[in-house]
Amino acid sequence: MAKQYDVLFRLLLIGDSGVGKTCLLCRFTDNEFHPSHISTIGVDFKMKTIEVDGIKVRIQIWDTAGQERYQTITKQYYRRAQGIFLVYDISSERSYQHIMKWASDVDEYAPDGVQKILIGNKADEEQKRQVGRDQGLQLAKEYGMDFYETSACTNLNIKESFTRLTELVLQAHKKELDGLRTYAADELNLAELEEEERKPDGAENSPKTCWC
Amino acid sequence: MAPAILVAEEHCHPHVLITSPCHWLAAELLEGPVEASCPRLKMAGLPHRVSPVPGLLLLCLLAPRFSPRSPLAAAELELVNATSSVPSMNETADSPLTCHSFQCAGERCYQDLAYANDTVACHNASFCELHRVTSANYTARCSSACGGVNGTEMCMANGSMRASPCALECCSSPLCLQLNATAYGDLPPTTTPAPTTTTTTTKAPPRNGKVCATFSCRGDGCFKGKKPAGRCIVGFNFCEMKKTGSSYVAGCSKACKTGKPVCAGGVATTCYQECCPAGPKASCLKLDGHVHVNGAGRRALAPILQLLAGGAVLILHYCVLAALQDNGAGGVGSSRPPREHPRAGASPALVLCGNGAAGKDLARRRQLGRRMDQSVAIQETLAEGETCLIAVQGVLVGVESVESRLLGLVRSHGEHAIFIYTHRRMAITAEDVCLETVLPIAEGFAVEEVTPDSDLRVIGSDVTVQIRSGDVGLLVRLPFGSQTRTFLQDVGQCCPARVMPVENANILGVWMGMELAQPPPVTAWVASPCQHAVWSPGLEKPPGVVGSEDIKQNEKNLAVNQSWSHDGVDKAALRQSKPKTEVTSEMVRSSTMMVSDKASLLSVKKFELRDTIVKSQLVQKEDSYTSIQNFRFFVGTYNVNGQSPRGSLQPWLSHDIEPPDIYCVGFQELDLSKEAFFFNDTPKEEEWFKAVTDSLHPGAKYAKVKLIRLVGIMLLLYVKADLAPNISEVEAETVGTGIMGRMGNKGGVAIRFKFHNTGVCVVNSHLAAHTEEYERRNQDFKDICSRMQFCQADPSLPPLTINKHDVILWLGDLNYRIEELDMEKVKKLVEEKAFLALYQHDQLKRQMDEKAVFEGFTEGEISFQPTYKYDTGCDDWDTSEKCRAPAWCDRILWKGKNITQLSYRSHMALKISDHKPVSSMFEIGAKVVNEELYRKAFEEIVRSLDKMENANIPSVTLSQREFFFKDVKYMQLQVEKLTIRNGQVPCQFEFISKPDEDTYCKEWLIANPCKGFLLPDSEMTVELEMFVNKSTATNLNSGEDKLEDILVLHLDRGKDYFLSVTGNYLPSCFGSPIHTLCYMRDPIQDMSAESIRELTLMPLLMNGEAFRGEKPLDIPKELWMMVDHLYRNASQQEDLFQQPGLRSEFEHIRDCLDKGMHDTLLGSNHSVAEALLLFLESLPEPVICYEFYALCLESASNYVLGRQIISRLPECHKNVFKYLMAFLRELLKNSGKNHLDTNILASIFGGLLLHPPPGQPKPDITEKRKAQQFIHQFLLREDNSP
Repeated sequence: MAKQYDVLFRLLLIGDSGVGKTCLLCRFTDNEFHPSHISTIGVDFKMKTIEVDGIKVRIQIWDTAGQERYQTITKQYYRRAQGIFLVYDISSERSYQHIMKWASDVDEYAPDGVQKILIGNKADEEQKRQVGRDQGLQLAKEYGMDFYETSACTNLNIKESFTRLTELVLQAHKKELDGLRTYAADELNLAELEEEERKPDGAENSPKTCWC
Repeated sequence: MAPAILVAEEHCHPHVLITSPCHWLAAELLEGPVEASCPRLKMAGLPHRVSPVPGLLLLCLLAPRFSPRSPLAAAELELVNATSSVPSMNETADSPLTCHSFQCAGERCYQDLAYANDTVACHNASFCELHRVTSANYTARCSSACGGVNGTEMCMANGSMRASPCALECCSSPLCLQLNATAYGDLPPTTTPAPTTTTTTTKAPPRNGKVCATFSCRGDGCFKGKKPAGRCIVGFNFCEMKKTGSSYVAGCSKACKTGKPVCAGGVATTCYQECCPAGPKASCLKLDGHVHVNGAGRRALAPILQLLAGGAVLILHYCVLAALQDNGAGGVGSSRPPREHPRAGASPALVLCGNGAAGKDLARRRQLGRRMDQSVAIQETLAEGETCLIAVQGVLVGVESVESRLLGLVRSHGEHAIFIYTHRRMAITAEDVCLETVLPIAEGFAVEEVTPDSDLRVIGSDVTVQIRSGDVGLLVRLPFGSQTRTFLQDVGQCCPARVMPVENANILGVWMGMELAQPPPVTAWVASPCQHAVWSPGLEKPPGVVGSEDIKQNEKNLAVNQSWSHDGVDKAALRQSKPKTEVTSEMVRSSTMMVSDKASLLSVKKFELRDTIVKSQLVQKEDSYTSIQNFRFFVGTYNVNGQSPRGSLQPWLSHDIEPPDIYCVGFQELDLSKEAFFFNDTPKEEEWFKAVTDSLHPGAKYAKVKLIRLVGIMLLLYVKADLAPNISEVEAETVGTGIMGRMGNKGGVAIRFKFHNTGVCVVNSHLAAHTEEYERRNQDFKDICSRMQFCQADPSLPPLTINKHDVILWLGDLNYRIEELDMEKVKKLVEEKAFLALYQHDQLKRQMDEKAVFEGFTEGEISFQPTYKYDTGCDDWDTSEKCRAPAWCDRILWKGKNITQLSYRSHMALKISDHKPVSSMFEIGAKVVNEELYRKAFEEIVRSLDKMENANIPSVTLSQREFFFKDVKYMQLQVEKLTIRNGQVPCQFEFISKPDEDTYCKEWLIANPCKGFLLPDSEMTVELEMFVNKSTATNLNSGEDKLEDILVLHLDRGKDYFLSVTGNYLPSCFGSPIHTLCYMRDPIQDMSAESIRELTLMPLLMNGEAFRGEKPLDIPKELWMMVDHLYRNASQQEDLFQQPGLRSEFEHIRDCLDKGMHDTLLGSNHSVAEALLLFLESLPEPVICYEFYALCLESASNYVLGRQIISRLPECHKNVFKYLMAFLRELLKNSGKNHLDTNILASIFGGLLLHPPPGQPKPDITEKRKAQQFIHQFLLREDNSP
């Protein structure tokens, strides 16, 4: 019986309000999409287990409020992340412009060596497009990030982008992971979760909490 | 358990494998002094004469029978015999010895580093030898005997080199050849008597700057005072002096070899007199005639006595333990290697802590990592002979302030310690550090990781460890990264508690060696012997049989990556590719050093909860990813009556045309000798194993999976070589049911394994004899069923029993007879082949019909004549005195699904025993895993688990996310309600403070309750209470503060919700400074926010200067309003200032004052009086300014001084003070009516007018008295105008 997971990472979604962060998360974890927009006011997270390079990775994905007035608080969550999605909406020039601000916040608050990836979401809304793909690419290049245009609605590049960021985080932590592969006991130390406190009881009819 | 492993060879009693002190003593009792018959024992460096310990012996004799492991242990150790007749102290016993292997030409060409990597795995050779063919031709190779081949001898003799072919070096640990001419004394002929240098070799090897005394000499004490020092070649970091007979050879060495014994009395072969880490200046060899081996010398000097004493302790321990243990449940526990070893045994591995490979490794790392390392600074503080191997900077946890420390791992003369230093920032030199404490790495030392329970552990977080040494315990947080990891690993390697005693290290090493293609298991440390399930006995393998070590413990059968090769060369290559066992056992050790035993078990448990769910769901879904495939199982049983095999067993084993896929071959009465009974050791095992192996079906190649034997009951399991990867989780156990219900003369042995995904258990039993003893047989069966328990790979799972298998095959001499028929009748029925009629009288059939035994088992129809009892050598029924009646003693039964018996027969052609062998061919459907479907099922489960987990993240719905408090007034409570409705998961909520803030919300807000617990589907109302008091009013008036806040509602282990709270504050004279109000000619609420802000923030001016062209009022109009109101209406009011006012009236008065409805203050006198007091209380600067507070108290009884102070107050404050005093004196005039007196007023107003400055403690009773006294003076004086 193979182990269920080897390692746990935290990824964070940031970007302006309404760019579709919550939808990206819902699509990735639950494969669901809700077109209506409800602002995330707070910080939410979901778990997902994926396999990258034969390593079972449990990722905890944090979805943050995008509204400006909460930013002083949400910034404080950056330091716990190993990977960050910077998300803008291709139909909103403004959200694209704000990426610079988000990126500088990341520089300031996230730990060194945090992995970043740029996401242009709502790629299905071609007719409303305000930000060209090349612009996205250009910005990503400036920041040395990978870039994906995604659509939570059509499920475009969702898995790819999440997997990619996870890969990047894995690579960044390669040293530790090599140790982890060699020294079995370390795995225990590195990947500990709180299952024991959270017994899976009453799981059948739990509420769906995906607002988009 | 055993501190010593004695191996007997040709001259010893055949196959006396002495595996424990008990065996050992017992052997001596029976055989006489061990040494006498075992000349080689000396070579192993072991004591050669043992005094039996009276009283213990009987226990010892019996103990092995009681221990379920002892038969196995014997089988395991057989390997030692095959691979290395002198087992080294720290190499694993199973793996073949690896030796350098090359030929080279040229003087001392073996020194060429190019050859150092040429190695070979040895077969049937116990030594590595460097052989000199001529003075310019050398061969390095495996050797079965040192210098024994071709009669060659060691080259160095009498201090001179032999000219004829000879052995330069011979040693017995992996890659042990030093390949160092200096060490061999193989030096070029020179006129100077002392060979001081080796640089005359054609190719000078690179030096490492270290020196060792280098010489060879002959005769006891010849080395004393030898001075010549040789420079060491790179890689030779130790100095050693070896002794062979009375010859001594000193020189540089690659490592302090542990393969050879340390010199001590009675050690005749090459041994170590000294070995130490080489230094740069002088040789570390002491040459004083004492043994020094890396600090272990003292212990090594008197090994015999210590070993004996330790042995005795162990014997007692072992025997008592064993005797107490049951074969069954207790046996499982006992079968694990004991973790905490009694140190008294002076187990060699303990002695050698920090030597050899580990030491070398550390040294290398030290060189590599030195540059960035603060160990340099530490090193400078150390004494000579002390080395800082590695250092790491950490933070002491648990002290009040954060204190950084530098931790250095220091080695000193073979001992290790952690030195802890205080230090300046980045320590560069010795001056930067200061030694605080030293924690020796000795007994009682432990490093244990402490998991913060508050937070998730993720990659990238710091490591907090608890370091304990003796009574000292330190909690240190080490930074995340490789330095910390390396540090902890190195500490772990130096830690004696982690160095496993030989036996265990071997076991783990073996197991690791087999696991080469797979990541090491999670539970490496917890690994018990039950995980070394697949075992190579190391016997000569007949062609066609692949060593069972090639069968992997393939979890999930995923690892099908071996190339099956059957010739020796490929196999050698295969072996060579394996990691060196030295390395692997080290890995095992280092992998465990982080976690203490207890903690490790705990984490395994924690960690595996999710795994367990996945596992159980995978089992549930098994049908979805497996399909049934049929395989042919041959099952055979043969009671051989103590005979040795004669002739081929093919008529029995290869009867069918088609080769079976799996062979299960069982024997009973393999050996009837007392040795077999007492020591569970018999040469027959090998004979029959060979005989079976030779007679396996020639149509296929087979791999031996397992051999298990209990005295005479032996079971062999073979699998077709190409199917071997499908076998996993092999376990074998034995249960004795013989004499005293425990001995091994009767009983059963069993092998369980997983074939594809089907659990198979094969049992071979020999049940109680004699016709009338059928109930005893029934009982034996039950005993075997209940006491046969197999460990599981996952230690948290309970042991498996026979019944927990999909397929059970039971064979053996079950000994059930034919009853109620006399001999002649039986023989007649046999002759008539009326087997069915005869079968009706079969005890087993009858007992099974009565459900007294073998419940749920099936037996095929018997169509062969009874297999017992014949005269040996022919097919005649027993003609002996006893004249036993024929019976079907030998039977094969099965239990489980998808099993079809293809044949069931006896084999009359075999005549060596009084039984005939029986065989049965089965077609058994195994659950074969479809990898793709398995993967799908697996992923599906993981997905659903994720989903379940996400659904179980606590989540609530909130009635409202934004709260607006409209028109908030001074001291007027406003409440908004928030309803938290819980989802399906019980949750704990709490408002948490934001970073950089001490509280979860601003001062003017309170959430009630601010934390709580919610059951599923329940809800709770939280009241958000807005209340502006004097401490917040001023800043709200000025606009410096706004009614704006974001609350973070945190769910434990769940998400965070942000609640936004806003409101507008109506400015008030309450909380405004006196001077501000003096400049306000309009009611405060009629003024613009901007002017309020400006006036509130303006500095307090000394004199009533004009501000923006306006002269200030003498006193605030609001104060005048209230005082005037009281003066006019309340001079004679009873109990004025002593009765409380009404809250509603206060609010009205406040609004009047703030909005300027001046003409009248509605409300009772008491309410106005209270408003006045509140007004004075809420002044940000009291009437007598803070700066004068202390002065006032000092001059409390000096009216003149007091007046001077008042005269120094700012104008408006001075006015207010005088005004109030005048008013109070007026009131006192009416004291007859209003019942006021100076004391009452002084006590009320003393505290209001005189406040200690903010930040000072509240006034105590003395201060209060003084404040009252101060006011009191002014109340008494009529005229106090300055």
